[in-house]
Amino acid sequence: MSTIVIGLSMGMLLFLLAAGLTLIFGMLRVINFAHGSLYMLGAYLAFQMVSVTGSFWAGLVAAPIIAAIIGALMERIALRPVYDRDHVYQLLLTFGFILVLDEAVRIIWGLEYKQMYPPELFAGAIEMFGSSVPSYRLFIIGFGAAVSAALFFMLDRSRYGMIIRAASGDPEMVRTLGINVSLVRTGVFSFGAGLAALGGAVAGPLFPIELGMGFNIIIDSFIVVIIGGLGNIRGAVMAALLIGMTRALGYSYAPSWVDFLTFILLIGTLILRPEGLFSRKGRTA
Amino acid sequence: MKIVKSTILSAACAAVLAFTGGNYAMADEPESFKIGAVLPFSGPYGIIGKGMKQGAQLAIEMRGGEVLGKPVEVTWEDSETKPQPAVQKATRLISSGAQMIFGAASSASTAALQGITEQRKIPLLVTISADDKITRANGYRYTFRTSNTLGMEIRMALEFTKAAGLKKVYGVGADYAVTRDGWDAYKAAAEEAGVEIVGIDYPPLGNRDYSVIIDKISKTDADGVILIVTGSDGVTFLKQAGQAGLGKNKVLFGPVLQDEVLAAAVGPDAVGAASGVRYHYSLDNPANKAFVEAYRAKYNEWPDSFAGEAFDGMSWFLDAVDSTNSWDREEWVKAFEGSVRENSVEGRKEMRACDHQALQVGLWGVVEKGEAPYPDLKMKITNIFQPDVLFPACEE
Repeated sequence: MSTIVIGLSMGMLLFLLAAGLTLIFGMLRVINFAHGSLYMLGAYLAFQMVSVTGSFWAGLVAAPIIAAIIGALMERIALRPVYDRDHVYQLLLTFGFILVLDEAVRIIWGLEYKQMYPPELFAGAIEMFGSSVPSYRLFIIGFGAAVSAALFFMLDRSRYGMIIRAASGDPEMVRTLGINVSLVRTGVFSFGAGLAALGGAVAGPLFPIELGMGFNIIIDSFIVVIIGGLGNIRGAVMAALLIGMTRALGYSYAPSWVDFLTFILLIGTLILRPEGLFSRKGRTA
Repeated sequence: MKIVKSTILSAACAAVLAFTGGNYAMADEPESFKIGAVLPFSGPYGIIGKGMKQGAQLAIEMRGGEVLGKPVEVTWEDSETKPQPAVQKATRLISSGAQMIFGAASSASTAALQGITEQRKIPLLVTISADDKITRANGYRYTFRTSNTLGMEIRMALEFTKAAGLKKVYGVGADYAVTRDGWDAYKAAAEEAGVEIVGIDYPPLGNRDYSVIIDKISKTDADGVILIVTGSDGVTFLKQAGQAGLGKNKVLFGPVLQDEVLAAAVGPDAVGAASGVRYHYSLDNPANKAFVEAYRAKYNEWPDSFAGEAFDGMSWFLDAVDSTNSWDREEWVKAFEGSVRENSVEGRKEMRACDHQALQVGLWGVVEKGEAPYPDLKMKITNIFQPDVLFPACEE
């Protein structure tokens, strides 16, 4: 039973790491290779805020906001001119962002590891089903569920979500209705960058904060996005939970096969349902 | 008759070549002693490169910046913690006249450098990579390692297991060949010493979530957990283990689990974790005191393992070169193999001629809270193991 709780937390963490990637791909059709670097930036920004204010919550709020501003600048200055070109230009550009962001982090924070701790409220462990489950893991489950619900309602039920989806599907038509599509795109990229940073801030107390930490999660994020269906938020949640559970059971019974099991899921999806296990035709949210 | 003739001719050619080759080495005395340093300044081991550079620079500075009466000139190249750039950069450095190569950090990169240095007959000084295969009997003529091997560190972990009186041990190893070999060696020796092995898990290298494994271990009656992981993997495990309270009733230890850099990354949850230590600034001997004082004066920080090992290796190698009074690299190799350094910063070291591995004491320590001027978390050296229990004879 405790394995299920841990699997849930692993899944929710994976979702938080991948949400920004799936949003940007779903709405802008841009594969953002710099997602991992934005996640890393989020962890460093959160660390900085915690160092200055002493509050984990300040880091959790400030890191996504700062990263969202940086994301908006990245989109406005670099990405916007290449929307009309071939996808390969966007790929190269986001790859370039990795180099710039990594170097910026190295210059500002250096090569030493940084550390963050869970907030006092979630610092201990709770006895559940005969296991000591860190309460921060329970926080991740709740927080991940809240973020996924908020994203779903924003994209699927709100007026803003409708505009975003319409701008993604038929930008010309939306433009003729008097909506500034360029601004919508900037907003989406900025929001996705903020989500990546949010993932970094949440992951800070669990992993070492170091240069290159983004590289570690980018593959996981792509697996979630592919299994869930490209750009599908609900699919991303389901895929993240599926992978989390698979891994939790894998670690219980065959830890050295965990990566193998994850990739089997990925390959199986690509062969049997390349549009994603949880995709429905025409759905983007 | 034909055979005799051709043999005489071959011998004559060989003699001429040897003579001219020797002359070349003697006559063509360079303007400077060029060292090609291939270290990771970016990538996951970037922090290692920084410490190694600072240690090696100080070693050169403390000898007046000269070897064989010529100024030492070091070219620093970034291996990016990857074998391919390491080889490319070493090749370029050798082409530009480097008389020795210093590096790399990851064992994979060092193994890649061994190929090119053997081929070009250039000494390679290794001061951090720990894969046992880097120095093997009758292996690489031009490679010298002045630092620890993983095998030695595994044996230290075993000695610690016995010294701490641990009866039941659970193992966690990053899933790759060196770790599995290390675990097999530990398991066999531990069982022979009467220690019960409760279980072993091999999560993938670079694993990000240990919570299920930690939960599994917490439900066993193991009194110790050996972690054959290092770097970020060790930090991640200890952070997550701390949140679940695993260290409260089990001793967490590993051959290369912690040093002050990694303990700082873990935070207070690192306190109590025990680990092999490659070098430590607290070692009480005159050579180390002089080094630590000079290092702190120059860099305003405590030297880490990477800096201490690099300083030691570089000082030793350059002393060996100086002792030959020759620019012939073969002479340097002969002088270094079998040399003894009584005044190393870690005490006595002996460069074994059979495999070019330095025999030395093994340091073992535990993370504890530090007070100024020391770091917030520091290693306290608790055991010093002698070389005879750490290094098997060369024939083995």
